[in-house]
Amino acid sequence: MAAVLLTSVLLIAACGLVYELVAGALASYLLGDSVTQFSTVIGTYLCAMGVGSWLSRHVGRGLVARFVTVELLVALVGGCSSALLFLAFAYTGAFRLVLYTLVAVIGVLVGLEIPLLMRILRDRFTFKDVVANVLTFDYLGALGASILFPLLLVPHLGLVRSALLFGLVNAAVALWSTILFRRQLGAPRLLVGAGVIVLGLLAAGMAGANRITNLTEENLYADDVILAKSSRYQRIVLTAWKNDLRLFLNGHLQFSSRDEYRYHEALVHPGLAAVPGARRVLILGGGDGLAAREVLRYPAVESVTLVDLDPVMTQLFATHPVLTPLNGGALTSPKLHVVNADAFVWLETPGDPYDFVIVDFPDPSSYNLGKLYTTAFYRLAAKHLSRSGLMVVQSTSPLFAPRSFWCIARTIAEAGLRTYPYHVYVPSFGEWGFVLAGQRRYEPPAALPPGLRYLTPATLNELFDFPSDMRPVPVEPNRLNNQVLVRYYDQEWSEINR
Amino acid sequence: MTSRRQFLGTSAALVGLGCKTGRSIAGGFVDGSYVMGHRLRDRGAFPAPARTVRTPLVIVGGGVAGLSAAWRLDKRGFHDFVVTEMEQRAGGNARWGENEVSAYPWGAHYVPVPGGRATLVRELFQELGVLRDGQWEERYLCFDPQERLFLHGAWQDGLEPATGLGAGDRAAFRRFAARMAEFRATGQFTIPTALEVGVAPSPLDRVSMDDWLRREGFTSPALRWYVNYACRDDYGALLADASAWAGVHYFASREPEERGPLTWPEGNGWIVRQLLRRVGRYLETNAFVHRIEPIGARWQVLAGRTAYLADAVIFAAPTFLAPHVLSSVPDPGFVYSPWLTANLTLDHWPRERGVPVAWDNVIYNSPALGYVVATHQSLRTESDRTVWTFYWALADGAPAANRALLLQRDWGFWAEAILTDLERAHPDIRQCVSRIDVMRLGHAMVRPTVGFLAVRDRFRRSRLPERLFFANSDLSGLSLFEEAQYRGVTAADRALAALSRP
Repeated sequence: MAAVLLTSVLLIAACGLVYELVAGALASYLLGDSVTQFSTVIGTYLCAMGVGSWLSRHVGRGLVARFVTVELLVALVGGCSSALLFLAFAYTGAFRLVLYTLVAVIGVLVGLEIPLLMRILRDRFTFKDVVANVLTFDYLGALGASILFPLLLVPHLGLVRSALLFGLVNAAVALWSTILFRRQLGAPRLLVGAGVIVLGLLAAGMAGANRITNLTEENLYADDVILAKSSRYQRIVLTAWKNDLRLFLNGHLQFSSRDEYRYHEALVHPGLAAVPGARRVLILGGGDGLAAREVLRYPAVESVTLVDLDPVMTQLFATHPVLTPLNGGALTSPKLHVVNADAFVWLETPGDPYDFVIVDFPDPSSYNLGKLYTTAFYRLAAKHLSRSGLMVVQSTSPLFAPRSFWCIARTIAEAGLRTYPYHVYVPSFGEWGFVLAGQRRYEPPAALPPGLRYLTPATLNELFDFPSDMRPVPVEPNRLNNQVLVRYYDQEWSEINR
Repeated sequence: MTSRRQFLGTSAALVGLGCKTGRSIAGGFVDGSYVMGHRLRDRGAFPAPARTVRTPLVIVGGGVAGLSAAWRLDKRGFHDFVVTEMEQRAGGNARWGENEVSAYPWGAHYVPVPGGRATLVRELFQELGVLRDGQWEERYLCFDPQERLFLHGAWQDGLEPATGLGAGDRAAFRRFAARMAEFRATGQFTIPTALEVGVAPSPLDRVSMDDWLRREGFTSPALRWYVNYACRDDYGALLADASAWAGVHYFASREPEERGPLTWPEGNGWIVRQLLRRVGRYLETNAFVHRIEPIGARWQVLAGRTAYLADAVIFAAPTFLAPHVLSSVPDPGFVYSPWLTANLTLDHWPRERGVPVAWDNVIYNSPALGYVVATHQSLRTESDRTVWTFYWALADGAPAANRALLLQRDWGFWAEAILTDLERAHPDIRQCVSRIDVMRLGHAMVRPTVGFLAVRDRFRRSRLPERLFFANSDLSGLSLFEEAQYRGVTAADRALAALSRP
């Protein structure tokens, strides 16, 4: 029996440390600044453990029953901690409050465990042996957990299931303690029943973890998923690694916070800076507000209309505390007007012309999205462009998908616009291409707004130069009734993504 | 908020709280006009006319032929005429419906990109902005992907079977295409058919398409399925019941498609809508013509409770009705194919395997013809709800027996048959469909049977009354928009000529 109890010490020590590590790691991923997060989490946790140890004095009789109850509570709260934290981040604005409350609760409960166990073991060993044995196994368990956590648990199970797994371990300890001490317990059946329920809940959590919190995505994405939402239209996933936030829509990378400035400066400024005094700007797509951020650098711009299909997306980037710093609060600017509509259908309604139109749609990976890259679409978009206005179109990669890129350029030209293709290097995407278009001749602007991190007037000219490996290739224009672009795109990317 | 609700919904389904039993599907029959036709057939009584209207010209039938006649007359500056339509709404085989999800067709749903000889269709399409500066309006051309076929457990691209074909099948398809190209090169298969050269009916009129395929050594099952599908789709007839002239006509009359056809959510109902904007003021709906008789030099047309006294009549309704209302007209002896069309409203898209959903979706070896996605021509990039138009020509068996079956069976029988058919390609279709509306068309289209051209020419040579002009497309043997329009317009021209003679 002593061996079993000491094994329990080893296991519950490991569990306690895992919950602490889970909370620290999660806070670091979600909030950044891992030194602060780990320090405050560990501090709160140790302090709470102290409180727990102190509270153990108030436990008089019924030691075993109390111990089993504590174990079950730790199993439940600790096991679900990771899932709760993710949900709190995704659905509430009070992540820190939830975080420290959870850490404190788990800490108090874990703090109760060892004193109670020591008192249970008091009759079987001498005092010095109790202290030596219990603390030895306690520290050994901690060592095991600290090695398992980074090497096995996080890479293979992810944070949510790691916590759930150790919740199961806690529940198992509770269950066999109940069975071991059944003669000393007043109502062993009640405790066994409770233990089975907790075990069942946690096991269901393990089984359903994929669906419920989309842990599959943690395997798909290189980094940790910090936010996953399904809207009517798409799966929005945000991942984080240190200070790199990445947005994926339906599994496609939209930006990396480390280099998105290159993409968005190149998307906006070559065109917008060349329309002096542009007052009205239209953004189609771009619900992340990053293009809008660049547009708002121009004091002359009076109004920005942003048409994005997905209200969940624009709402998220207008309000979420982790995301609004990225776009500088662009989506809540008084100049900005968000319209949640299907861009093609929205353009069917005539309105005042725009001086600059940004077309920043997801890549043409399906026939549905391909409609937004057709001659019919560009003809319609051109009707919303003022005579001296310009339009810029996100056009995939001229290096990886040359036929797709030049097909978009050809399609815009087919719609009766002059085209000026250019490209930029974005590390997380590779070489990326854009097409500027308008009724008029285009010259790269001599001046750019202040505060840019990448573009300079000198680099502007280089963007329009296509080296030999990105030269135009013969392609057909993309039409609603013959979507060659979707087929080009599919072929070209399937050759790259082996 | 939506996402949270969806999230909860998903988890509820996960733990089995979702409704597992099949959902209830709403719907019913949307027809009923056959009642009047049957009263006419059974020599039932019709109310006496309450008023008499004097008019130079009555056009009987507000389908494409009748409306095209009206379009022509109006354009030629002749405005004194009436179009009578038995239904509440005009359109005939190009009728359409609409619900909160989409407009949808009840019958004809496309027009192939017209060739150079279809001058009237081009003239109309220019007027409607479908053809502009020699360019077809992109949003009216069928969006990509156009067609797919469910074969060997997955959807493949295009209607021509491609997966799992042997070398013999492939050779048969190539040889068949070459034979059709030869027929095309003769210039004898045209649309409209009235432009066809040569006076005597084609010798192909005397054999069935089935016989012709055998004679030519086409035994590949895949090819025979494909040609049989074409005959069922365009004529509502099996290979053995369609003449080789008609079967060849399907493949040899048109250029291998430049990326078309032209189509709209409500099918050819869109064209009817545009025509009605121009000639709707001449239309009298709910006006069932049950008697046409000569009174002196005039025609008395009894339509509903109105008696029209007209100098001329254009009979644009199906020709088989003529002997029932006109004692002097012989039975043309045409065969008509019974059809069933259904519009299914879907809350979400079903599961499937293979290439993505197309405009026209056909299931190999199905007795039905597949479904057309009414929302395919939508400019939206995302839509969870949709309407499918399900087509089913009851080609197998005698037309009269199938017409009886259409009337005998209740809505539940047909809804079940449709779902069972779709289930092969979409196992969860029952969870997706919220509504099935069914239209029964006893005489949906003329059937170009063996010897049809001879029968037709005999009818035309028979003593037909003066100042009465037949205009229905069934006189072409092909139920096509181009034929209906051509016959409507030429009947209008002949009527005008007759009216200008003293």
